[in-house]
Amino acid sequence: MLSGGMISPQPGAGPVSSAIAISVDALSARYGGNTVLDNVTLEIRRGSSFALLGPNGAGKTTLLNILSTLRRPDGGSARVAGADVVRQQTAARRSLGVVFQDSSLDDRLTAWENLEFHGLVYGMAPRHRRERSETVLALVELEDWRDEIVRSFSGGMRRRLEIARALLHEPQILFLDEPTAGLDAQTRVRIWRYLDELRRTRELTVLTTTHYIEEVEGADTICIIDRGRIIAEGSPEALKAEHGSRWLHLTPRDAAALEAIRAARPDAQLLGAHGLALPADDGASTDAFLTAFRDRLTEVRFQDPTLESVFLSLTGRQLRDRADDRRNADKAAGRRGGRR
Amino acid sequence: MNGVVMALRGLYGVWLREITRATRDRAQLIGGISRPLIWLLILGVGLNPYFRGEVYGEVRFVIPYTYLQFLFPAVIVLNIMYTSIQFAVSVIWDREFGFLREVLVSPMPRWLILLGKVLGGATVATLHGALVLVLARFADVTLSLDQVAVALALMFVLAFGLTSFGVILAARVRSFEGFGVFSNTVILPLYFTSSSIFPLDPALTRAQQAVTYPEWLVFLVQINPITYAVDALRGVLINFNQFTPGWGIGVIVGMAVLFFVVAIIDFARQ
Amino acid sequence: MSAVRNRWIRPAVNLLIVVLTLTALSYLPPDTSLADRQKSGVLKLCVPPSYPPLVTADAQQPGFDIELTAKLAERLGLRLNVNRLSSIGTDFNPRNWSLTRGQCDIIAGGVADTVQTRSFLETIPTPIETGWVALSNTGQLPAAGGSVVVLPGTSGLDRLQLSGWLRRQSLQVIPARSPQQFVDVLASGRAAAGITERFLTAGMALPPGSRTFWLPDAQFSRFRMALGLWKGDQTLKRALLSALQATEAAGELEALESRYHVETIGKAP
Repeated sequence: MLSGGMISPQPGAGPVSSAIAISVDALSARYGGNTVLDNVTLEIRRGSSFALLGPNGAGKTTLLNILSTLRRPDGGSARVAGADVVRQQTAARRSLGVVFQDSSLDDRLTAWENLEFHGLVYGMAPRHRRERSETVLALVELEDWRDEIVRSFSGGMRRRLEIARALLHEPQILFLDEPTAGLDAQTRVRIWRYLDELRRTRELTVLTTTHYIEEVEGADTICIIDRGRIIAEGSPEALKAEHGSRWLHLTPRDAAALEAIRAARPDAQLLGAHGLALPADDGASTDAFLTAFRDRLTEVRFQDPTLESVFLSLTGRQLRDRADDRRNADKAAGRRGGRR
Repeated sequence: MNGVVMALRGLYGVWLREITRATRDRAQLIGGISRPLIWLLILGVGLNPYFRGEVYGEVRFVIPYTYLQFLFPAVIVLNIMYTSIQFAVSVIWDREFGFLREVLVSPMPRWLILLGKVLGGATVATLHGALVLVLARFADVTLSLDQVAVALALMFVLAFGLTSFGVILAARVRSFEGFGVFSNTVILPLYFTSSSIFPLDPALTRAQQAVTYPEWLVFLVQINPITYAVDALRGVLINFNQFTPGWGIGVIVGMAVLFFVVAIIDFARQ
Repeated sequence: MSAVRNRWIRPAVNLLIVVLTLTALSYLPPDTSLADRQKSGVLKLCVPPSYPPLVTADAQQPGFDIELTAKLAERLGLRLNVNRLSSIGTDFNPRNWSLTRGQCDIIAGGVADTVQTRSFLETIPTPIETGWVALSNTGQLPAAGGSVVVLPGTSGLDRLQLSGWLRRQSLQVIPARSPQQFVDVLASGRAAAGITERFLTAGMALPPGSRTFWLPDAQFSRFRMALGLWKGDQTLKRALLSALQATEAAGELEALESRYHVETIGKAP
């Protein structure tokens, strides 16, 4: 198992306390008899983009709830922006912006009123509140909808408004729980670009939880979590390098060629009816193979390691259970439909 | 100092949200006027012939007021009860649809969040109570500005207590449907046993009272705190008290304090 | 700022609609009492045969209440029908007067605007004041142990309060059944003073030298005399009230008061 030791303060980045945005020490949580978080230890550097990747029920949301002071841990401790999440809740909350997995907007208020409410609850002065509201609404391109009741918003618009709201009070740390699901690619890119800029200029720390690979490719650090335990942590490249494999996908010219290749390389795996896949991590043997069989292949392609394959090789399971996903989507839609 | 200003902004924000939601909701306003109309216009007028005098010296209810006047303060209390206790729906709504988390991760302390919500609910309930005052002319209740001011203050404190009571109920009820049934089974019995639509005549001795009404009913009326709230409002609006005037105010303030404290304890536990 | 304005427009409109609706509805008549009178064209007034100066037997000066009611009826376009009923005032319990809705629309000539009265009737107070008065040669009540004759009358003053107070003053009470008996007891000297309701003294042949004075204000409040209406006759009451206000505004009420010498409110009778 990998620990948080892979992340260390950058040389000359000042005292550790100021460079660390979130630190989690031997945290555990239980629901009834089930252990949801098991001795989790993490450190997240200020200004970084940190992703918690894991399947549904891995304990990501529980961890986020503890960090946002909504739930008390059953063991261990955690600090957010230097404030203990149990003993210094108010200070911890003040430094946080949270986007929850399910909508937490008031859908009987307008977009503007939702922002106004947030600004008031965070004690922002009237002028500052108005200026920030304009800014964040522009960021998520909802200026034209500011006086519309949220009930009439699409899922994507609600999501954007929630992100805008979480940024309104200029938090040091932003939690995004399954954040950009339902957003179109353009908006997603725009929001991430803005967040990246905030990370650079204001050292905003972004903590994302997701079970979508696409969300985390841009993160500095990925932490793979499964059944309440951290099973790997590092940059996407480092994880792929360590746990992923590069494969050579090829299509032999005929059945004879296929048999010949399988005879020469027993580690080759069948891909469909006519294709083959060879492990390609060893460059020298791959080169030798290609030289030998060049004339008997119709198609050759290198497949780089993906995080999906990393997760597969670490847990032996697919990251996403598609049927499970569909069920969740149905549930969410049913709930929205039942809303008055 | 700065902390106080920030806390007040937060309080205002939570309050404002409740007001905005309630005043935007036409259905709620319609409820707020249909009840006084049913009770004053329909019931009050419909039963009027049964309570008016036919022979001088002989009336069913020996009170120095007409039935409409007698009913009038009780209808205000009924309207406040409904709006206050139905306010719990807003609490359940917040919890079920995730909005509660938005508030809980904010730097506002929980008791302040609850105070804001209860103040908001109480303001709306007081407004609904005040709507009944518009019908004062119909019920032949003449009101001075002083009376209206004192009545509004009492109504607000009553609404505050009942709204807190609604929050306590909300913490114990899981679903909207369950709450709808539940609130009716709470509100209507409380209303009917509060001496709202029939007097326990203070001119009669206790023995005679028990003859007029069975002991158990008199007992129910006497232990019902709403009885004293209605009585206090009668004292202010039509200058008629069935009980020691101070009791009503004491019970109203007591309910507000007690229910709010319990509500805070409940809310902190969530 | 526009957002702030927009937000309150809808609630304000909602509220305005509600208040206007309620205000409009509050003008609905709650009963048919006025409509019924207007249909028949007659307003029936019940009074005792005599209760000076509110009701007298003199056709030239029929009494304050009768003239006032006549003016009100005129303003409502109704013909006043005066019923002089000897049963009124014969018993302290008005139930035994057997006045019914069929006989009377208004009961007057000795109705005080007290809680007792309002338990049974709706009242329209007139400017005339009443209360307990005492009569004696000294202008004072006798010392403890003395006797007073009491004629409680039937206008609705609180007799229980009076008897409790007299008991605390250690005064012996001689109850009188009629004004004649009251005067007789006073004249015979069996009682040093008499206590009765203000206007009952007006019709009495009082012994010479007797002085009349209010009982102490601290214990006994004074009351306005009133026109009594049946409970539940709200529309009639409202019409009469506004007619009374119009009469007052026209100065007719004041003229009436000075004609009957009842304007001395607050002064000893």
